[in-house]
Amino acid sequence: MKMIFKLAFCLGTAVMLSGCERPPIEVVQTGFRGTGMEQIYNPRTLVKQAPLNQTPVAAEAASPDGPKANQVYQNVKVLGDLSVGQFNRQMAAITQWVAPDQGCAYCHNVQNFADDGKYTKVVARRMIQMTQKVNQDWKPHVAETGVTCYTCHRGNNIPTQVWAAPKDRKYANSLLGDLAGQNMATKEAGLTSLPSDPFTPYLMDAQPIRVNSSTAMTGAGAYANRASTKQAEHTYSLMVHMSESLGVNCTYCHNTRNFQSWEESRPQRVTAWYGIRMARELNNEYMTPLTETFPAHRLGPKGDVLKVNCTTCHQGAFKPLYGAAMAKDYPELQVSAKP
Amino acid sequence: MAQYQNLFTSVQPVGPLHDGVELPRGDFKRIGKPFLVHLFGRLGNAQIGPIYLGTLGLASLIFGMAAFNIIGFNMLASVDWNPIQFIRQLFWLALEPPAPAYGLGIPPLQQGGWWLITGFMLTMSILLWWARTYRRARQLGLGTHVAWAYAAAIWLYLVCGFFRPIMMGSWSEAVPFGVFPHLDWVSAISLRYGNLFYNPFHALSIVFLYGSVLLFAMHGATILAVTRYGGEREIEQIVDRGTASERAGLFWRWTMGFNATMESIHRWAWWFAVLCPLVGGVGILLTGTVVDNWYMWSVKHHVVPAYPLGSPVVVDPAILGVKP
Amino acid sequence: MSMLSFERKYRVRGGTLFGGDLFDFWVGPFYVGFFGITTLFFALSGTMMILWGAAMGPTWNVWQINIAPPDIAYGLRFAPMMEGGLWQLITVCALGSFVSWALREVEICRKLGMGLHVPFAFGMAILAYFSLQVVRPVLMGAWGHAFPYGIYSHLDWVSNTAYQYLHFHYNPWHMIAVTFFFATVLSLSMHGGLVLSATNPGKGQTVKSPEHEDTFFRDLIGYSVGTLGIHRLGLFLALAGVWFGIVCIVVSGPFWTGAWPEWWSWWLNMPIWRT
Repeated sequence: MKMIFKLAFCLGTAVMLSGCERPPIEVVQTGFRGTGMEQIYNPRTLVKQAPLNQTPVAAEAASPDGPKANQVYQNVKVLGDLSVGQFNRQMAAITQWVAPDQGCAYCHNVQNFADDGKYTKVVARRMIQMTQKVNQDWKPHVAETGVTCYTCHRGNNIPTQVWAAPKDRKYANSLLGDLAGQNMATKEAGLTSLPSDPFTPYLMDAQPIRVNSSTAMTGAGAYANRASTKQAEHTYSLMVHMSESLGVNCTYCHNTRNFQSWEESRPQRVTAWYGIRMARELNNEYMTPLTETFPAHRLGPKGDVLKVNCTTCHQGAFKPLYGAAMAKDYPELQVSAKP
Repeated sequence: MAQYQNLFTSVQPVGPLHDGVELPRGDFKRIGKPFLVHLFGRLGNAQIGPIYLGTLGLASLIFGMAAFNIIGFNMLASVDWNPIQFIRQLFWLALEPPAPAYGLGIPPLQQGGWWLITGFMLTMSILLWWARTYRRARQLGLGTHVAWAYAAAIWLYLVCGFFRPIMMGSWSEAVPFGVFPHLDWVSAISLRYGNLFYNPFHALSIVFLYGSVLLFAMHGATILAVTRYGGEREIEQIVDRGTASERAGLFWRWTMGFNATMESIHRWAWWFAVLCPLVGGVGILLTGTVVDNWYMWSVKHHVVPAYPLGSPVVVDPAILGVKP
Repeated sequence: MSMLSFERKYRVRGGTLFGGDLFDFWVGPFYVGFFGITTLFFALSGTMMILWGAAMGPTWNVWQINIAPPDIAYGLRFAPMMEGGLWQLITVCALGSFVSWALREVEICRKLGMGLHVPFAFGMAILAYFSLQVVRPVLMGAWGHAFPYGIYSHLDWVSNTAYQYLHFHYNPWHMIAVTFFFATVLSLSMHGGLVLSATNPGKGQTVKSPEHEDTFFRDLIGYSVGTLGIHRLGLFLALAGVWFGIVCIVVSGPFWTGAWPEWWSWWLNMPIWRT
């Protein structure tokens, strides 16, 4: 009898401890001493994440001389004023970034490269425009580092971290067991019981994220802050997503004694503010209009297009690819084309 | 050389089991034949039972079982009736109160209606159980101190689940039934109302919570330290002070300059324990109804420490009014 | 004199751990002892340093006074006085006075012929302080991880340290510790209430017996732990709460750097039921 208890205890302890890490750890202080504002990293975890954030080597820049791509090739709607050499270099790069296994045939009809028959070509064209938009108009978020197709795709046809509206449970219309959009263990909620879809309201729709009052006492009538405790859970869920996406914690942006104050926050919070608005624009202006273009097997379980959130680019790093500046080698991706 | 600390009973003498002090006429008979569990006897009494099941107890159990089952079946339904997923996700599952849009109205059954019914059942069960604690004490000729301590806990329960939601005009403000979900509620209310650490009633409630832990460690340890003089026989020591109480009192007098008596320590204990939920309930009741941001409230009352800000000072991009 | 009516016969020599008869005396109701002297020394020095730190700071408002540990960059080294060095000295004085207090309690127990349960229990509290301010910072490589000395500032530290793990409530050892804390306050209210109900039974009633106490809880819930058992249980619940509190914070950082909700993935991903 006693042996069974001892065995069970040892086994239980081993299981519980198996999830553990060990010192030494690395720490970055992000606030005044003693406030507890710090980023904590396990170097062994960082080592494991490093391969994901390796950037492919850029090919040598091609010469801008010679005829333009839209003079030599047909049906060139973007990147047309690059030289043929530059254009082909960019195409080779895109292939490496998005379809290294399938090659040119992933987007093109190899009998007729100009043909728009494959949906991937139509999507890719729009995504090139999206990349240019991000680099040109969203500098408050991406600064001079910018993005390329690789930032999201990392060699995959579909970026590994995308989202779509969640599937309803099987007996969603029954009299019992309404989930109210939360209270399950989901990756989207970071394994909390918080709402499992913070993306639709905040990264597609523009629902208000802020819940705090700036005054001490409860206001009346027009001055009342109508945000509910439940709404705070939705904001919290978005914040958990943002933290996990960047591999950081709440104190990266906030002093948690007073979440709402911008004065007590760090500059990174401003960058994040722009990031939220950028994600909204990408989802509404670029991804959602492409819904009809994608075939059914590329859509979410409810038939909506796969969309962008913070993890799509960041993939667990505080800056995608740890801030490696890939876009500088592809100036054609840094500006939107002139009409 | 090793000394026996009286933490566990090594030898358990077994005598006739106690059927309980006789109850006055009008009460039912007790249920169950008492039996011994040796393992329990290592720490305290070994005897289990008999139990008294009267009208109040039966009613309380019925309401309580109803609440328990409604919660359980809703949780099971939320994983599509899969028992394996039920166990796997048990800590995450919940029975959720109505959404904010319903205010104080009666929502559809599956969108908060079950929660309302459960809340009512559970509250009835708790109040009936309170009446039971009161009555059992009275029937045995005891004071009703246990019942009134329980009342303090009921106060906090009703504040969180009933009074405050009504004052806020929304059932959605109440606590969901679920392990992790009720912890999410705790975080959410602190996030919404400007950090509950800055709520002075919350701080005072924590003082009483930690104080209770301190007091029970002190009192438990003190009594154990004088069990060799019969210190655990507290009633006898109260009416007829013996060397156990004297040594216990002097220990604290010599240590910290003052001491309690064998009776008064139990008053310290009762008040610290009762003030934790009592004061805490006040703090929750004021949250959102009177005070909307406890940090800003604390700034107003000059208690917030200042730290050097970053440079340049961060500005809210929303007020810049410029779209990039 | 400040002696209780029965006190004189207990004021005997002996029980000291160190120093023999030299410090074996009382000042008013307080027992001194060698460790009373060391307590006074450490406590006074520490308090003086806190007051000096407050004087060097921006305010005398008792709620706002803050004496902060060094920056993380100083690692485990000694920092300049105004950059956290003062905090370090105060911590040494705190530990010195807490340990002195515990040893003084031991001397008093020995003198009174009591078991050493009280200083042992206090030792658990000292262990909690030591774990927070020494063990965990050492494991993490810097004194700057410890909490500051200030009424509200230490709460800011708690808030930020907890949010480093996104949702500290999901820390399983924190859950266990909180359960023990609430169980302690519950059982304290029940014990206090029970003893008072037996000795203050109301108008016209006689003082009741332990049999009444046992009967009350057997009637109520089918079990009564008894007069000895409740004190063992109470001490255990309180110390277990503190113990798991120590575990929950020492693990956070040195042995777990991620979000605490993520820790539960081992449970969710077990092969028998992973989705």
